[in-house]
Amino acid sequence: MAEESFLADDFLRQLMSVGEVDLLVGIPSHNHASTLLQALHCVEETLRQNFVRERAVILNVDGGSTDDTRKLFIESSERRDVAHKGLTSLRTIHRISVEYDRSPSQGLALHHIVAAADLLRARACAVVSPGTTNLTSNWVANLLRPVYREGLDFVAPLYARSRFQGLLARDLLYPMSRAVFGQRIRELYSDEWGFSGRLATQCLEKEVWQEEAMRARPEAWMAITAIGGGLKCGQYFLGPKPASPAGTSPDLVDAIRQTVGNLFWCMEINEPQWLNRSSSQPVPTFGPDHELSSDGVPASPEKIFDLFRSGVNELEPILASILAPETHAQIKAIALSDRLKFHFAAELWVKTLYEFAASYHHSVLNRDHLVQALVPLYRGRLYSFLLEHANSSPEVMETRSEMVCQEFERQKPYLVERWTTKH
Amino acid sequence: MPQLLDESLWYKDAVIYQLHVRTFCDSNGDGIGDFRGLTTKLDYLQELGINAIWLLPFYPSPLRDDGYDIADYTSVHPSYGTLQDFKDFLTAAHNRRIRVITEMVVNHTSDQHPWFQEARSSRDNPKRDWYVWSDTDTRYQDVRIIFVDTEMSNWAWDPISKAYYWHRFFGHQPDLNYDNPAVRQAMWEVMKFWLDIGVDGFRLDAVPYLIEREGTSCENLPETHEIIREFRQRIDLAYPGKMLLAEANQWPADVRAYFGNGDEFHMAFHFPLMPRMFMAVKLEDRKPIIEILEQTPQIPPNCQWCIFLRNHDELTLEMVTSVERDYMYDEYAGDKAMRINLGIRRRLAPMMENDRRRVELLTGLLLSMPGTPIIYYGDEIGMGDNVYLGDRNGVRTPMQWNGGWNAGFSTADPERLYSPLISNPVYGYQAINVDSQRRSAHSLLSWTKSVIQTRNAFRVFSRGSIEFLNPSNHRVLAYVRRLGEEKVLVVNNLSNSAQAVELNLQMYKRHIPIEMFGRNLFPRIGDLPYLLTLGPYQFYWFRLRRI
Amino acid sequence: MKELVIQGLRQAYDNLVHMFAEFLPRLLVMLVIIVVGLFVAYFLKTILRALLHVTRLDRLSEEAGASRFLRMAALPSMTELLSRSLFWVTWSGFILIGISVLGVAGLQEQISRLFLLLPAIFVAILILFLGLVTANFLSRAALLAAVNAGYPAPKLLSWSIRFVIWALAISMALEQVGVARQTVIAAFSIVFGAFMFGLAIAFGLGGRELAREFLERNLGDKKKEKYEEPQPL
Repeated sequence: MAEESFLADDFLRQLMSVGEVDLLVGIPSHNHASTLLQALHCVEETLRQNFVRERAVILNVDGGSTDDTRKLFIESSERRDVAHKGLTSLRTIHRISVEYDRSPSQGLALHHIVAAADLLRARACAVVSPGTTNLTSNWVANLLRPVYREGLDFVAPLYARSRFQGLLARDLLYPMSRAVFGQRIRELYSDEWGFSGRLATQCLEKEVWQEEAMRARPEAWMAITAIGGGLKCGQYFLGPKPASPAGTSPDLVDAIRQTVGNLFWCMEINEPQWLNRSSSQPVPTFGPDHELSSDGVPASPEKIFDLFRSGVNELEPILASILAPETHAQIKAIALSDRLKFHFAAELWVKTLYEFAASYHHSVLNRDHLVQALVPLYRGRLYSFLLEHANSSPEVMETRSEMVCQEFERQKPYLVERWTTKH
Repeated sequence: MPQLLDESLWYKDAVIYQLHVRTFCDSNGDGIGDFRGLTTKLDYLQELGINAIWLLPFYPSPLRDDGYDIADYTSVHPSYGTLQDFKDFLTAAHNRRIRVITEMVVNHTSDQHPWFQEARSSRDNPKRDWYVWSDTDTRYQDVRIIFVDTEMSNWAWDPISKAYYWHRFFGHQPDLNYDNPAVRQAMWEVMKFWLDIGVDGFRLDAVPYLIEREGTSCENLPETHEIIREFRQRIDLAYPGKMLLAEANQWPADVRAYFGNGDEFHMAFHFPLMPRMFMAVKLEDRKPIIEILEQTPQIPPNCQWCIFLRNHDELTLEMVTSVERDYMYDEYAGDKAMRINLGIRRRLAPMMENDRRRVELLTGLLLSMPGTPIIYYGDEIGMGDNVYLGDRNGVRTPMQWNGGWNAGFSTADPERLYSPLISNPVYGYQAINVDSQRRSAHSLLSWTKSVIQTRNAFRVFSRGSIEFLNPSNHRVLAYVRRLGEEKVLVVNNLSNSAQAVELNLQMYKRHIPIEMFGRNLFPRIGDLPYLLTLGPYQFYWFRLRRI
Repeated sequence: MKELVIQGLRQAYDNLVHMFAEFLPRLLVMLVIIVVGLFVAYFLKTILRALLHVTRLDRLSEEAGASRFLRMAALPSMTELLSRSLFWVTWSGFILIGISVLGVAGLQEQISRLFLLLPAIFVAILILFLGLVTANFLSRAALLAAVNAGYPAPKLLSWSIRFVIWALAISMALEQVGVARQTVIAAFSIVFGAFMFGLAIAFGLGGRELAREFLERNLGDKKKEKYEEPQPL
């Protein structure tokens, strides 16, 4: 029986024309007409300056934009220095654009990028978001270079951040993924990353692309696949992470549904990979490991605490079905404590998360609902974090974060126990 | 083609063969090629299909710059024969409908030239002002040095007259002072001398450097153009049909000025195109060629570009960016001995790693692109080079006629030859020579003959316009040459692997492509993009006929 | 007289014996039918199960998301569910046929009526089941969304949704079985109307806060919200 290919004929024809390449940069887009050109020129600049001799292609995968995103991408001319008499670059910098006819999905876009990388036999690839406002050519180069020159298979970015930016990554995603999968990749969920053709080929073979969990944030799965396949991961310090312009970044609930939901799902499908793994390893890091600036003083976060408290109350039956009775009791207890003396201990936090993950695994209720039920608890933890670190120096915050990571690793046997036995 | 000889635009339809009389054939057994020897080889050149010869300098000279240091403009270096030998050669060539272009080194003379000997003899000699003198070496500070490997300054100290003299090339080649009308007149007399003998055109060496002005780069100055226009006027008046070819290693936009309004040079070399053809084949990407031709301005209708793959000098990399230069060095001159000044001293075949397909592809490109092509002697049989001979002598070794004594070049003792022969097993004269290739219908020589023949049969190659097709496959370079109703489609696969290409030929709908070497019909062009598949480095020339 | 009585008794006894003699084989037939039915049903179940395994129905249902549904309703896998249903449907059919063989007057009629009602009942049960699951799912989704967005009275919202779906499912199920059609529709209309009215009043009085918040959130200063929740990623 002939299997349907998700690749359109026109796309294949474009790939044929390009032929084998060394580098591939994917730009997934959806109604990015205003920022796309900046990203495109940035990528072209990177290729011209850093990879003059390499064969390269820039691939735009568009999720049915209703503005002129695709047209802009195809028709805008390569920016060239008029005064310059020589060539703008040695080779043609190929551009291809493909549109898939479903609602925008990062997963589907990545599926196209990975398929193109495999078919064109690209050695190094990067995905950049046209929504990243301070994308520079250095960023793109730094994602490609470790793959192309140092032989890494996955390169995650590292960002300089203000103290209270990216706390979901700092307090949940990083420490948990690190404890579970054993590799210290700080930014598993990011808008730009690099990967090797080898990894692309491995990923293409997996039958996960239609999964709901892959829709919004497929990048962590890619890293975890690399870890599972014994490939080399690394991270590269890029610079300050831009504050997302209002209205474009997902709110906390969506962010948690997309990332935590994806992380739990990754744990589910990669179970054999991590169940017996203990401790974690650092990965090769280019540039500083992290950078925290001391700006960004949090404003009154009382509302966050209220949301935590009401969530614990209102969701009591749901939480009861997810959490172990003792854990649930402890959370109910701290929800009653005084707002100013509130403390959500790391130990409890870790236990909570592990129980959530295990309940996700056992499907005690709809998995998306389960992840949503985590939101109020995360808010509690967030509030506690803000209280504790209102005046902390970046160094202190970093030390505390490391302690949280170690707590996650320490309690991993508990996760394995909950995971493997149904309560 | 006798009618061609009468045409004043003959240079547009020419296929030029570049040679040095010293390297071609030795008739008197002294180990150095001469005009009598060359005359005996004219049949070979006629057979090859070329219709013009460009001779490198053959004048009396101390030969410290391969003859570009001329000590006497109006006679022949004794090693190469006599003036009568030259006249005989010229007649023989003309009898075979082959034109002859000679070198006119106008910018400088040898320091052995009587003019310079007089000029340096004392500061008040009447010829003193024929050269550019200075008491300091600080004038014209903005001027670049061309031979960066050997020269430290553009000024040289003359110990006899105790002053500095100006030279853009080697220190033994003082620049003439073209501000002096006497110099201009003297040079015109020289030209007249050769035109009277029957020479068909001059290649003017190093034209951008004729005039010096403080505060400028001393290149391409307006006064230089005035001098050229003056020469051209005199030639058009007294010797119509004679041709001037400019050597100006500059960007096309700068060279454009040397065509003037059709009242300066007839032809000029397109220097930046050449390295980019090599680059395109190595990169397997048509971009370098397209981009440089897009930057090439239109020229007056009576003018023509001169294009070449290799010549007697290094493959010059002055007209490329540093990125491109590094790339060319890495890809084509991995051995440092292959590099000289800003270029690569190698011949075509070794640069192509003796890959017949790539040599053919590049030759095919040369003969199908707009411009008058120049073939460097020996490249038609795929001769090798010897980069260890010093300077650029590695690409100036004796022509390889057969596998016998001295490759059939000379009867002298091998030790007496002006230059050792190429003798390695791959490129040596026993493996690569004219006689053996003449015997085979499939040799590079036979192939080259057939392409030149094909080119000569269609004026569209020499005079037609060019329009690039932009197929999405960038490994394929495709263009349509067009002259009136004559249309030729050229499709080149620049890559080392088989390629498919879809060409948008809507403008030529209903035309039938006829492959020009085999004269086979191809499917008629219809509504759909025209699909072609090409093997590695393969190229097609199609006549597009509407029947 | 005595004779008559004895004769009567004998006749009765004979009748009884006769009836019993007539009934016993039927009973036996019934038992045989039921036992055969058991085997047939078991056989069919096994075949269907094997067939469904071959066609990988479970994977299909997993992909379609139906399995998760079943898991949450504490039901076995799709294959198991279908094959067990087939077993029970087949066997019940045999049982009913067996009973009808007994030839008990009245029972026959009831059974044939039951046979006629069977599809309707089956559909009604299905509706109730789906209604239950949907109500559960949607009410929980609403609860979570309301809690996480900080809306007031999330439980009220959640329960309202559950209630409406239940009411709808029950009335649809009853309507399907055909029990007192008019009454059911009238009752549902009244309940639904009352509920909506109640909601309208409730939101009218208590929703000012909500409306204000809604307007603030969408039209007002967005900075305030960002202050509260630092950029998560």
